[in-house]
Amino acid sequence: MNLSSIKQPVIDGDSKAAASAVTEAMAAGAQAEEILSHALIPAMEDVGDMFACGEYFVPELLMAARAMSAAVDVLRPALLSEGYKAAGTVVIGTVHGDMHDIGKRLVSMMLEGSGFNVIDLGTDVPAGAFLAAALEFDASIIALSALLTTTLPAMESTVSVLRAAPLGRNVHIIVGGAPVTDEFARRIGADGYAPDAPGAAALARRLSTMPVGIGKN
Amino acid sequence: MTGKERILTALSLGQPDRVPLYIHGINEGPIIGIGRHLTDGLPEPKQFHEMDPGEKMKLLDTLFLLHEAYGVDGFTSFEIGHEVEVDAGHIKDDWGIVYARSPHGLPVAKGHPVTSAADLDAYRPPEPDRSHLLLLDMGRERFGGEKALFWLMRGTFVRSWRLIGMENYMINLRADPVFLHRVARMVETYNLAQLDMLVAAGLDVLVVEDDIAGTAHPLIAPRHFREFVEPYNRNLVRRAHELGLKVVRHSDGNLWSLLDTMLESGYDGLNPLEPQADMGLKKVKSYCGDRICLLGNIDCQGLLSDGTPQQVEDAVRTAIEDAGGGGGYILCDSNSLHPGVNPENCIAMFEATKKYGVYPDA
Repeated sequence: MNLSSIKQPVIDGDSKAAASAVTEAMAAGAQAEEILSHALIPAMEDVGDMFACGEYFVPELLMAARAMSAAVDVLRPALLSEGYKAAGTVVIGTVHGDMHDIGKRLVSMMLEGSGFNVIDLGTDVPAGAFLAAALEFDASIIALSALLTTTLPAMESTVSVLRAAPLGRNVHIIVGGAPVTDEFARRIGADGYAPDAPGAAALARRLSTMPVGIGKN
Repeated sequence: MTGKERILTALSLGQPDRVPLYIHGINEGPIIGIGRHLTDGLPEPKQFHEMDPGEKMKLLDTLFLLHEAYGVDGFTSFEIGHEVEVDAGHIKDDWGIVYARSPHGLPVAKGHPVTSAADLDAYRPPEPDRSHLLLLDMGRERFGGEKALFWLMRGTFVRSWRLIGMENYMINLRADPVFLHRVARMVETYNLAQLDMLVAAGLDVLVVEDDIAGTAHPLIAPRHFREFVEPYNRNLVRRAHELGLKVVRHSDGNLWSLLDTMLESGYDGLNPLEPQADMGLKKVKSYCGDRICLLGNIDCQGLLSDGTPQQVEDAVRTAIEDAGGGGGYILCDSNSLHPGVNPENCIAMFEATKKYGVYPDA
């Protein structure tokens, strides 16, 4: 299988070409999980690296994520029949009182591009809604976003509510957003902090291999 | 010197009698918290739209009062009266953009009336409405020329993405650049028309408020910024200068990869210089302090919220040392005085500017 013929359209943000490349690869006999794990997910990792070093920006990240999504749509039936298991389920949302969306959307896309099932609760999400969704979807990670300094208290109280529940001992909690810092994340009891969407995806991948309670950033 | 003279001297890269003091923006909570040191009868902190008419007038009067009492040299005004309530949680402006109200600050754009070229064909933008300049009119009447009058004008990028949606904007950088240029030209036409009104209303300083960057990088590539955003903002700068105004460029975030382009646009000032975004005063002053006045960068995210008045005073002294030499510096917050800032810290910032900002040969 020529991996670069699948990776490059994703990196280039070309949804049509990415879907076509995947279709051709499957027609040539490639396994869906192989395509996902060895071409598509590494393509998004490359995109994340390019974003981190300032070569790619939000539009390029967005286009690549859409190309990844188009490719995964082609793969999905085969992934199901192969019994593919996602890397985990992430419940994500912007905390109560915060209406900002774009940063969280990028994180959602990057998480999907890393092989996670993502349940995006949107913005202004009360703590109880995170808890309920995590229980309903058997989440392994809860991701909280805050874009305002004044909504950091809501992030802190959400973490408290989650940790106080029985679920809180069995889930990783990660946080991010412009005013969030690593120190703040530690102080409120989160398992990790990421400064941007690719970093959040990398953190989630790392935590998904660790038992709960050990994955400190 | 009057506050207006002080501000205009600094924006001309001159050295006034002391470092000017300016507030980029201030929410209801800090107005009330600071105002309680000056006057009685203020309501409990709540958003302007939740106040009755008497409370609204008291809040506005207190806003003016704190500028007078603490010697703030410039007054920031912006559009009011251009929004209608959709429901308790949402408002809509005269462009048809729907915003979700936030208890923690400004409303957030959520509903976008134009999503495609076809939508744009059928869309009619608003005309600038003179009545929306009420806050500027009130400031002009209250301060009588003593303070510089600033106006926050949404720039090309912000008006464009609010109209068509952020993700939609990003996608169309590649999918339909012609569409984006059409939107930008429409925005430019509106802004230029409003500029004429603002000048007639007595404006001194136009602030092109056009947030384009995150903490580490710009939101879009510099090449896209140079093509889709700054040429239109540059036309605003040129026209504003023709009309006798000074112009300040506002954007949060790390602007280093865009800075040369912004400098070429001819702005007189750059604000707010977020310390968390590598926009430290010493570094920026060293790079371009001979070309542009710096406005900033007292940290409103951490220091003004969680610091002590002594720490604020120390930060002001350092800021003046780093950027005030020779003039060309205006002290202000690194973004808005938002609902989370400590009012006592804000007062400390005001007073420290007076304490440390006098030029030795003034």
